[in-house]
Amino acid sequence: MRAPASLEDLIESLRCLPGVGPRSAQRMAYHLLQRDHIGAHQLVKALDHALEHIKHCEKCNNFTEKAICELCCSQRRNAELLCVVEMPADLLMMEQANCYKGLYFVLMGKLSPLDGIGPKEIHLDRLLRRAKDGIVQEVVLATNFTMEGEATAHYISELLHTQEIKVTRIARGLPVGGELEHVDSGTLAQAVLERRVI
Amino acid sequence: MIANKYRQDTEPAFVLHAYPYLETSLVVETFTRNFGRIPMIAKGAKRPRSALRGLLLAFQPLHLSWAGKSELRTLHKVEWQGGQPSLQGMALICGFYLNELLVRLLRREDPHEQLFEYYQETLIALSSQQDYTPILRHFEQRMLKELGYALTLSYDVTTNKPLNAQEKYCYEIERGPKILGAGDCSRGLQLSGRTLLDMETGDYSDSITRQQSKALMRYILNHYLGDQPLHTRQLLKDLQQL
Ligand SMILES: [Zn+2]
Repeated sequence: MRAPASLEDLIESLRCLPGVGPRSAQRMAYHLLQRDHIGAHQLVKALDHALEHIKHCEKCNNFTEKAICELCCSQRRNAELLCVVEMPADLLMMEQANCYKGLYFVLMGKLSPLDGIGPKEIHLDRLLRRAKDGIVQEVVLATNFTMEGEATAHYISELLHTQEIKVTRIARGLPVGGELEHVDSGTLAQAVLERRVI
Repeated sequence: MIANKYRQDTEPAFVLHAYPYLETSLVVETFTRNFGRIPMIAKGAKRPRSALRGLLLAFQPLHLSWAGKSELRTLHKVEWQGGQPSLQGMALICGFYLNELLVRLLRREDPHEQLFEYYQETLIALSSQQDYTPILRHFEQRMLKELGYALTLSYDVTTNKPLNAQEKYCYEIERGPKILGAGDCSRGLQLSGRTLLDMETGDYSDSITRQQSKALMRYILNHYLGDQPLHTRQLLKDLQQL
């Protein structure tokens, strides 16, 4: 027996979520319909509201409900520093670490050469315009230390090379409080390669 | 140890590419020394504390252990071999280019031990040398040769005579160069004998050789790649235009 069309529709729609296959989608649909009508209504409202009101900040590209987000408007931030991160979650981590008082640019992705995600797809032209505002003195590259994150950092550094802007890359190495015994070989090898004079 | 053809332990390999699979896993395209290109699933590799996470890096020699009969094997263990500096900057972009070529042109489970060795040597060359052009051209030629599409670079395929550096030739795919003379070259690529001879000896000091050899390799590779262009080639082009 086939499920009613509207149920099939719901299951199919849930599959647009990352990592959700047909089985999980079916489980979610049953749960919402059978056990959590209130939750389902809230989900509809929240999704609808977010779709209507959330857009990308004109300056940092992060999600916001305004044209320019609160962080970008803040007078307490150092506008000479611009930190480039891949995702909003990375920005939140930076903020949690409470180590940086500059502004941000969120790529909402990274270069992924084998997947066909190039400079155009992650809007590096917008980053270039943002960095050339005449105030930014240093761009801090905080993309991930994956091969893709490294490629992204390289591309941006080349992009900004011709401008009068200093480009820096956050350092990598052993975690704070980390013990050699427990660190993975790749991290240790890179830390030895990038050792510094003290 | 019990021999089991579905199970392989500590095989030398490289990661060519990885992409997310379901919520916490990765599909990893690997190039193994003895079994060729094998896609594997690394279960839970996207979890923050996964032991696989920091090790499944492209361009680093690894030992992989896997099992399974299906097209997608299950990766069990990754061991870091190291001893090779990681690729940085332009060398890294070139590394992606090599990987895309291999992902696109290597058939699954078609062993190419020689090519594996050569790939490893090429990565080391990329990490230690500044001039990437000869490294890429050498790799492309070696790869085509290992895949059974070796180029003819020393003699005219119609006359069997050695190439003359001063002459113009028409290079036809899967045949080779033939003297251009008064004929046209609509079914091939026109280039100088000097370029072909330089490619044969691996001399890329001449600027025309560099230009024409790049065009020739692109012409030939496009034939085997089919309609879908190489993404990394566009990225290399974008970088050069900055
Ligand atoms: Zn903003």
